[in-house]
This record gives sequence, C-alpha cells and structure tokens, in this order.
Amino acid sequence: MTDVLSREQRCALLAEAERDELVALADECLADGAAVRVLTGPEVGAVAAQVREPVLAERFLLGDVLACRAEVELAGQRGWSMRLGDDRAATLAAAVLDAEAEAARPRSARVEELCHAVARRRVEREAAEWAELAPTIVEFEELT
Amino acid sequence: MGYSGARGGLEAILAAEDLVRRARDHAPAPWASTEQITARFRLAVDRVMGEGGLYHEPTAAAALRQAEGDPLEASHLVRAHRSTLPRLAVSEPVDPDEMTVLRRIVPAFREPDGPQLLGRTTDYTGRLLEQPDGPPEPGTVQDRPARERSEEHRRPRRFLDLLRKLDLVADQRRGDDPEPVDITRKPARPPAPRSAVLASMARAETGGLVSLWYRSILGPDGDVHEVTLGEVRHGRVPLRVRHPHTGNPVTLGEFRVTEAEAIENLDGADEDRTRLDVGYGLCFGHNERKAIAMSNLDIANRRFGRKGPLEQLLLLTVDGLDSAGFLEHLKLPHYVTFRSIVERKQAMRVAAEAGEGPAERPADPAGKEC
Repeated sequence: MTDVLSREQRCALLAEAERDELVALADECLADGAAVRVLTGPEVGAVAAQVREPVLAERFLLGDVLACRAEVELAGQRGWSMRLGDDRAATLAAAVLDAEAEAARPRSARVEELCHAVARRRVEREAAEWAELAPTIVEFEELT
Repeated sequence: MGYSGARGGLEAILAAEDLVRRARDHAPAPWASTEQITARFRLAVDRVMGEGGLYHEPTAAAALRQAEGDPLEASHLVRAHRSTLPRLAVSEPVDPDEMTVLRRIVPAFREPDGPQLLGRTTDYTGRLLEQPDGPPEPGTVQDRPARERSEEHRRPRRFLDLLRKLDLVADQRRGDDPEPVDITRKPARPPAPRSAVLASMARAETGGLVSLWYRSILGPDGDVHEVTLGEVRHGRVPLRVRHPHTGNPVTLGEFRVTEAEAIENLDGADEDRTRLDVGYGLCFGHNERKAIAMSNLDIANRRFGRKGPLEQLLLLTVDGLDSAGFLEHLKLPHYVTFRSIVERKQAMRVAAEAGEGPAERPADPAGKEC
C-alpha cells in the first residue's frame, strides 16, 4: 500500500477499524466546534452479495450481508462510510473521519495514521493465521 | 389466533409462550452469550446464516439462542429479521478467485497448483465422544515458526483452471451477462435461469439439499452420475460496493464462504464425450455438505433439469422455510377441514345405504385440502 491513501483505501480501512478508536478520534475532530450535519443514517441494512461463478461466468445472488452506512457533511465536505455489521456509532464516526480527511482539516493526518495502523494489524493478523494454518498442509501418499 | 375457522385461545397462547421464555431465558445454567454461541457453535451459526440468507454471525447466534438451538427455527427468525432491513446496495460481483483460503482440498488430484490445506477439520479424526467433567485446562499455545504466506498459499489456482489448461473441460462460459434473478423479491418458478437455481440452493435447508443430492445418486432419477470432487474450499472473500462519490469499488470487509467444484463425465449423445464438465457450489460460512451437494446438483440440473423433475425440485422443495412451514402449519386447528371430510364420508354412506352410488369424480392431488 502506498503512503498516500486513495479515498477508497481510506474507506476500506476505516470500515475495518475498531469502534473505540473511531469514536475517540471522531470526538477529537469535532471538539473544535466544527459544524457537522448528518445527511444519511447511520442506517442498518443489507448488501446483496452478488457472485460471478467461474464455470459459466454467470452472476447469481448468494444472499445478503448485514451492513451499516452513514454520510455526514463537515466543513463543507461530505464524508461517507459503510461497514459490515450493525454498529451505528462506529459507522457514523468513520463518516466523520472520512470528511475530516477530505476537508484536510487539522486531524486528517491522524485519520491517515489510524488507517495505516489498521493495515498493519491486518498484516499481523494474517501472519498469525498462517502460522496456525501452515502446519495443516498435507501431501498424501498415493498407493499404486 | 385466527385460522381455518378457529379463533380465540389468546390467554393459553401467551401462557405457552411465557413457558418457553421462562424455561429458556431463566434456566438454572449460565447465560449463553452471543460470543459463546459464535465461538463454540460456529458451524451451527454458519448454517443459520446460509439458510437465513443473511450474513452476520451475532444475528444468527441470537436467533439460535431464541430458537433453543433449532437451526431451522433460527433461520426463520433471521429471514423475518432480514425482511425488515432496507437494501443498501447490490455488491460488485464477488470473484471467488480472490478467496483467501483457510482450507482447500483437491480430492481428484494429488498435486494441484498450490497446497492441499486441511485447515480446521475433523474429517480425518475418529468419532469418539468426549464427555469432560468441566471446561478443559487452558491449552498451551505452541510457538509456531513464522512462515511466509505466498500468493499461491493465499489464493491457489483453482483445479478447474488446470483442467481447462489440459483442455479437458467443455467450455460453457457465456458471452452475455444476464442480470441475476432475485429470489428474495420474486419466487422463482420453473423454467428459471440458472442464477435462480444457484440462489435457491445457496439458501436451501442443508439436510433437504443433501437428501435431494443423495436421491439423485441412488434414487429413481439418477441425475448425478460421476461423484468426483474437483475442489472444496473454505475462505474469505471481499465484499465491495461502488463508492457513491467516486464511483470506484470500495471494500467493506470480508465474509466467509464454502466453495465446491464437482466433476461430471459427459456421456450424452449430444454432449462432447471427449471432455468433462464442472458443477459449482458456493454458500455462506463453513458448510461443506451444502456446497458439495450444490455443485453436483448444479451440473445435474444443467444436464437434466428440464428433462425430469430436478429443476422443479430445486426451485420448489429445498427451501427450509417453505417445507417446514407447510409441515408445521398442520399443527394449527383444522377442525373445519376435518369436519368437512367426516361429513362427506357420512353423506356417502347414507347415499350408499340408499342404493345410490357415489358420483364419479377425479381424485385431487394429495395435500390439496391442507
């Protein structure tokens, strides 16, 4: 991942961040009294998971995945978030952080730092996961 | 309560409901938290997510607790809850090749591209019941040496691609891209596009689907001939939607799925007998029985679905809420229905005793009067 995050990368990492860290940083962002307006939600709903299967390359609908979305306006910039699950506070906070970064407000660097921390945690989590899985690689012997 | 010409009974119904709640919620045992259920009853939770058609582990766990552990009742609760939710988006098409595998076996071939990764399984473990007196002692965490997870480990090339490379698979890939049928908005009826059949199987009752799969092997229809599995995987796939401001895909997170490929020998007069074909199964969570049955039934349906009853069976009979709902409703008062049957019998007897034969009439299909 490059140091400068695209908006989509930022949204993805904020969607993976912990609730407490999102809410704490969003509170800091709003502590200067900036006018914030909630445009959407936070609203819990479903995202229909569409799959393109590999045999005929046809799409089908697998089912719904629970998600929550919110949109805010902060300092004239819109911030948007959608996260899996039903955590309204975390989703609203992520939207505030997206707006903070879009508006290049004082804590936008902190938002970026949080995103990089989330990305590092993902790498660590996956490494720990592979350390558990790798010993289960098997090579069965063929009886001929 | 009002049904079939009966009503009333509200006090008894409330008392019965209260009996369930008190016995369930105030049993002399520690509370089964949502975290307990998701951590210790993972496969039951995954099954409920699949049959309920909504991926969210805590919701499925709450439903299992409320349903006293009955997976079908829990799926019913999840479906009812899901019906109250707005649809926020339709995802970008998930590409199963992006799956981060947690388990991956290729039963058909010893040395596929990438590893045979057993993952979390008891497939090779003897079925000996353990009855511990209490919780186990805290386990010692083995210090596992870090190993590099290569791209081949993370996303091994699928067996189907190897078969294609060897020119062993009849290429059925479509040039067009039809919109998938949404069976949650409009029930599918035969004849229906394959997308409707795949969606029906993905949220089918697992036992019902396995039963139909077995019937297709041993039963009178014989729609499944070759039962060789190409590949079975369990892993995480990313869910993406379009960002409303940039229009680009944005990843919301990952969800777990089980995927299976079934190999079928083409031997029909109008088929390419020099090649194989592959059926596909994919469902929420870790549910290998369902994915395997789905993959075999997919190819069977493509070959024989409309020559026999298979497509109709897949679209109309494997949904747990449909079948169990019909079954369960039989417990509701049918006083009027049965009295009508008795009165008809009595009338026929009177007519027979008077020397009048019963009027000729064609038999109704079974179940019509339920």
